[in-house]
Amino acid sequence: MDCYTANWNPLGDSAFYRKYELYSMDWDLKEELRDCLVAAAPYGGPIALLRNPGRKEKPASARPVLEIYSASGVPLASLLVSTLPALRLGAGQGSASRGQLPEPPSPLQWKSGPMVSLGWSAEEELLCVQEDGVVLVYGLHGDFRRHFSMGNEVLQNRVLDARIFHTEFGSGVAILTGAHRFTLSANVGDLKLRRMPEVPGLQSAPSCWTTMCQDRVAHILLAVGPDLYLLDHAACSAVTPPGLAPGVSSFLQMAVSFTYRHLALFTDTGYIWMGTASLKEKLCEFNCNIRAPPKQMVWCSRPRSKERAVVVAWERRLMVVGDAPEGIQFVLDEDSYLVPELDGVRIFSRSTHEFLHEVPVASEEIFKIASMAPGALLLEAQKEYEKESQKADEYLREIQELGQLPQAVQQCIEAAGHEHWPDMQKSLLRAASFGKCFLDRFPPDSFVRMCQDLRVLNAIRDYHIGIPLTYSQYKQLTIQVLLDRLVLRRLYPLAIQICEYLRLPEVQGVSRILAHWACYKVQQKDVSDEDVARAINQKLGDTPGVSYSDIAARAYGCGRTELAIKLLEYEPRSGEQVPLLLKMKRSKLALSKAIESGDTDLVFTVLLHLKNELNRGDFFMTLRNQPMALSLYRQFCKHQELETLKDLYNQDDNHQELGSFHVRASYAAEERIEGRVAALQTAADAFYKAKNEFAAKATEDQMRLLRLQRRLEDELGGRFLDLSVHDTVTTLILSGQNKRAEQLARDFRIPDKRLWWLKLTALADLEDWEELEKFSKSKKSPIGYLPFVEICMKQHNKYEAKKYASRVGPEQKVKALLLVGDVAQAADVAIEHRNEAEMSLVLSHCTGATDGATADKIQRARAQVQKK
Amino acid sequence: MAAHLSYGRVNLNVLREAVRRELREFLDKCAGSKAIVWDEYLTGPFGLIAQYSLLKEHEVEKMFTLKGSRLPAADVKNIIFVVRPRLELMDIISENVLSEDRRGPARDFHILFVPRRSLLCEQRLKDLGVLGSFIHREEYSLDLIPFDGDLLSMESEGAFKECYLESDQTSLYHAAKGLMTLQALYGTIPQIFGKGECARQVANMMIRMKREFTGSQNSIFPVFDNLLLLDRNVDLLTPLATQLTYEGLIDEIYGIQNSYVKLPPEKFAPKKQGDGGKDLPTEAKKLQLNSAEELYAEIRDKNFNAVGSVLSKKAKVISAAFEERHNAKTVGEIKQFVSQLPHMQAARGSLANHTSIAELIKDVTTSEDFFDKLTVEQEFMSGIDTDKVNSYIEDCIAQKHPLIKVLRLVCLQSVCNSGLKQKVLDYYKREILQTYGYEHILTLYNLEKAGLLKPQTGGRNTYPTVRKTLRLWMDDVNEQNPTDISYVYSGYAPLSVRLAQLLSRPGWRSIEEVLRILPGPHFEERQPLPTGLQKKRQPGENRVTLIFFLGGVTFAEIAALRFLSQLEDGGTEYVIATTKLINGASWIESLMEKPF
Repeated sequence: MDCYTANWNPLGDSAFYRKYELYSMDWDLKEELRDCLVAAAPYGGPIALLRNPGRKEKPASARPVLEIYSASGVPLASLLVSTLPALRLGAGQGSASRGQLPEPPSPLQWKSGPMVSLGWSAEEELLCVQEDGVVLVYGLHGDFRRHFSMGNEVLQNRVLDARIFHTEFGSGVAILTGAHRFTLSANVGDLKLRRMPEVPGLQSAPSCWTTMCQDRVAHILLAVGPDLYLLDHAACSAVTPPGLAPGVSSFLQMAVSFTYRHLALFTDTGYIWMGTASLKEKLCEFNCNIRAPPKQMVWCSRPRSKERAVVVAWERRLMVVGDAPEGIQFVLDEDSYLVPELDGVRIFSRSTHEFLHEVPVASEEIFKIASMAPGALLLEAQKEYEKESQKADEYLREIQELGQLPQAVQQCIEAAGHEHWPDMQKSLLRAASFGKCFLDRFPPDSFVRMCQDLRVLNAIRDYHIGIPLTYSQYKQLTIQVLLDRLVLRRLYPLAIQICEYLRLPEVQGVSRILAHWACYKVQQKDVSDEDVARAINQKLGDTPGVSYSDIAARAYGCGRTELAIKLLEYEPRSGEQVPLLLKMKRSKLALSKAIESGDTDLVFTVLLHLKNELNRGDFFMTLRNQPMALSLYRQFCKHQELETLKDLYNQDDNHQELGSFHVRASYAAEERIEGRVAALQTAADAFYKAKNEFAAKATEDQMRLLRLQRRLEDELGGRFLDLSVHDTVTTLILSGQNKRAEQLARDFRIPDKRLWWLKLTALADLEDWEELEKFSKSKKSPIGYLPFVEICMKQHNKYEAKKYASRVGPEQKVKALLLVGDVAQAADVAIEHRNEAEMSLVLSHCTGATDGATADKIQRARAQVQKK
Repeated sequence: MAAHLSYGRVNLNVLREAVRRELREFLDKCAGSKAIVWDEYLTGPFGLIAQYSLLKEHEVEKMFTLKGSRLPAADVKNIIFVVRPRLELMDIISENVLSEDRRGPARDFHILFVPRRSLLCEQRLKDLGVLGSFIHREEYSLDLIPFDGDLLSMESEGAFKECYLESDQTSLYHAAKGLMTLQALYGTIPQIFGKGECARQVANMMIRMKREFTGSQNSIFPVFDNLLLLDRNVDLLTPLATQLTYEGLIDEIYGIQNSYVKLPPEKFAPKKQGDGGKDLPTEAKKLQLNSAEELYAEIRDKNFNAVGSVLSKKAKVISAAFEERHNAKTVGEIKQFVSQLPHMQAARGSLANHTSIAELIKDVTTSEDFFDKLTVEQEFMSGIDTDKVNSYIEDCIAQKHPLIKVLRLVCLQSVCNSGLKQKVLDYYKREILQTYGYEHILTLYNLEKAGLLKPQTGGRNTYPTVRKTLRLWMDDVNEQNPTDISYVYSGYAPLSVRLAQLLSRPGWRSIEEVLRILPGPHFEERQPLPTGLQKKRQPGENRVTLIFFLGGVTFAEIAALRFLSQLEDGGTEYVIATTKLINGASWIESLMEKPF
């Protein structure tokens, strides 16, 4: 334990700083770091090195080489920069060609200038700023993504210096041009170039400058001699840091903190000013008495800590300074590079990678020499317990007497989070777990969560993975972003293990990662389509939330149409599947998929697509094999393209429908009788072909009728066309053409019964009672005589009605007599029939006053019948 | 507002609120004053979802009916077209938009497709050059509209014709979508039963859609235990017969549209002394009919012959209640009486209305022709003389009774005889064509395609087997206090409902033979539930079955199902869904084709 604080260095009275090794670097660098352009991404991100960044005139053997490593020095990519694609700039400003596929390498056309600066975006894309203002964007694995230009002004004046910076909107690029003007874009994802105002009287490059971000706006702070200027997009203003020591004639270095809240200035007098980035307040100052310009200066502070410190690096010396008279000094054995982090500074060199940070409070409380903090005692107690010593009990009592056991457990949990070495994490967690045993109601989640988080952290800190995140960084970054980064590094199995271990919902976790994996998988050109499709389906199965169509779209984007089709087979959502199939010109497949879905709108969409794509014959053949599509298309044609409908029926030899089609046409399309008859003739022929004798005959009858009606109209005037046979006969009777009516009825073989009804109704309508009577006597009525009674009564002719009532057959006699109002006689008939129902019927027609006697008679008769 | 929707076993107000929310969200997307241009067919169904007041709250200031050429003038910022996805409507819309572009200030156009957005329609709008004019093009998935506490309908007029005549399964797709919406709100339905080709397709689509939605696991405790999908063409008989329940008869005689009925006004004239009935109102009396009205809920499903006694009993109760006022002595008693007054007055109004309606109906049902028609229907259904030309039908044709009535009877005879002998069929057809006109040959063909009218093939009449096995004809019917569903047709038990009844007890295995006779496959599907959602039924707790009639359902069938729900030892309660509420007349009419 004594040696545990050996690497703790006090800064002033209140804080310790410690530096420990993260990795010994795996890379085998031939050059010194100082010969390279270096860029390291925050949050334990990758390191990019550009060797030989220099000039064109260098021999081919020394062409620039871009290498990308993990934080542990494991190579991720290496490429000769001369194989960069030739770039021709578009005319306008910021002509970005994003989302394009990499162009084929063509070294001969290499025209652009040398690289000025490198930097990583928040999405871990490498931005390489060339001298001509073109920014090349590479993926983590050196895959060229896209490029964009910082504008014509930059192109003309060349890039003098460039910075990549991060804001809440994303990653920005700031450029200092040869004309000493600044251009910046606050978000390269949504490129909007902003040319900053001119700094009055600026003749040479500023001695140092930096980007700042305040109130969601990016600014530039620059130093020219003894003066500081703040540039925003509207104005340039001179600023003065409060409490700056006198005698400054130039600023050599400036540093903004990770969160843009603090600013540090290093002057040519070896004096460091530290204050707020707003330049409103000074926090502290320090005089290091070294006048040599430092190589790097970065802030080293922890969120929520009161301590402020900056780390300053020279060739062979590293100094931590803050609000204390003495700084902490380290000797640098090698060329080193500082990477500011949220809660400290990473320092890497050719051989090692270290982390320097302020010792967190919990750790300090526990491990400080002679600490009596509850956590420290608990750790001690647990150790004694393992040694089976009764001292354990003493320590424990001590904590419990003070009632500080919960704090002690909490402290141990917290401290474990800040430890890099698993052994130390374990012993702290063991202490926490030991302490928990003596607590009744200690909520377990903080302990459990810490164990989980540490397992994840230890896994990704592993040398092979090389993401040395601290606990605070991990919490800031969130698990989702961490998973994205693992995916970006193609560490799919680890990412999935983490998701499963943390039990993340499938849609956010495993599915998403599998989908990414699949998208990567489809780009493996050396694997056959079948194998890729099978591998993807095996892994993905029916995992919820995986969009096979997205993966297929990616495969199609890579030119692997066959693979895309195979993948689409697994897509359950036809709404996604079908449009992509259409895009890939697999219309017939799209059609069968659309049909499977039952979504008729989708089927229609494919059909109209097919109709334009295929010639008519092929289109019809396709339809023929898909009955459901065919019937839908028929529906469409019925409303939109009648002629096509006919062709469809013809093709199918569907004579019945063809017949109906022509029948419709004879009403809708044709005006003249000849046309209508001709259409009906075609219909009749079709019906014959369809072996529908009845329809054919009926149609021929109709043709006959039409011609006849035409003749009647010519001869008699009036309207006959489109009347039914029945109505034609009626009309003839009504107009007194009885002969013709008879003839027509015979011609069309109207059944006798109906003809009687017809005549009866027509004559009654005419009120031609004489003719009616004649008719009734022409022969025995096939419909009886009750209808005669009824119809006369309908016309309110009781006199005529009575004539027929007597002729009504016995079964309906009562009814007829009642109709004409002869209740008494009806009663007699009913009694004669000894029919109970009839008697009741008559009874219901008896009105109290007049038919009293009759009613009595019936009552009696009924009683008699009932007796029997 | 729609409290009656929540009285049932399943609270259908949840669905109504969900669709209302969706509507409000859409309206709010179009900020500012609005005018809605309606596809006329949609106004009825929409009325059940949102009254004008809701629209007004969301700045809808004007409403028009979709018509060709120009839109009426309206000083509004937004114009919203609410339409079914039909090509012919797109043409009208584009006409509207183009003529609007040429005049006046710029408006924002939007389009709301009900119930589904259609690529086909959007393509048409694009071809007409107006697609870009629409800011919001969205869909309003109003598939199943709650009509009552146990009744949902898609009100899709052409559904039967599309499914069975034109093999267009659009409405089946919408039905499946509607069922998915229901499941999203009321939980996954664990068991699906079905009979018929369309039922099979809907079930397939549902299973497919469920696969599409994997990932968004439904964690709602299932409200429905079963879903029964029934093809209308499994039971073509029932709608052809005249419904004899109160509601059924109102629908048969006056037609109920979107729960409203229009009645001849004479019987509803306010009775004033000395008026002598001079100023009879001429405008039809419009009444809403649903279970929100207490009295209606009580009598709607009764056989009409049992309605009169209920009405007279009610009349006595109400007048007794009004007499109470003479007994009210103390201030407290009077106060209590007064507080009950509105409710009593409403009850009295309701009673007066239904007494009038019952009188109107009675005039019809006591007519000789109604009696004759019913006699013929009942003869057919009980299997008497179905194989020869019926003289009543002949007389109807000869007297040119309404064609729909004739077609209904002929179809009924055909269905009850498993098709007619070729000679008989041809005779009827010839008579119809000669009397009503040749153009009806198209209608007759449609009826044949639908299987309603057909020649007997195979020479065997299978209807008697079906009738006997399913006990479709019951000789001893108690219309006043029914013991069997056959009361709704005074003897005939609707086949469809019998199938549902037998499914619930003892199960379809007992009637395999009949199921094979009826068209289409029968099937059962299970939708597995996560263990946490599996129901443990309490003893005596009824199952809830959602029964979906693909192609339409009649009020009499609904009444029969409600009767089964209310049986004490029934074991199953039903919620009814359908593509359309139909009766024999509206159904046959939907199959008729008029070429001019």
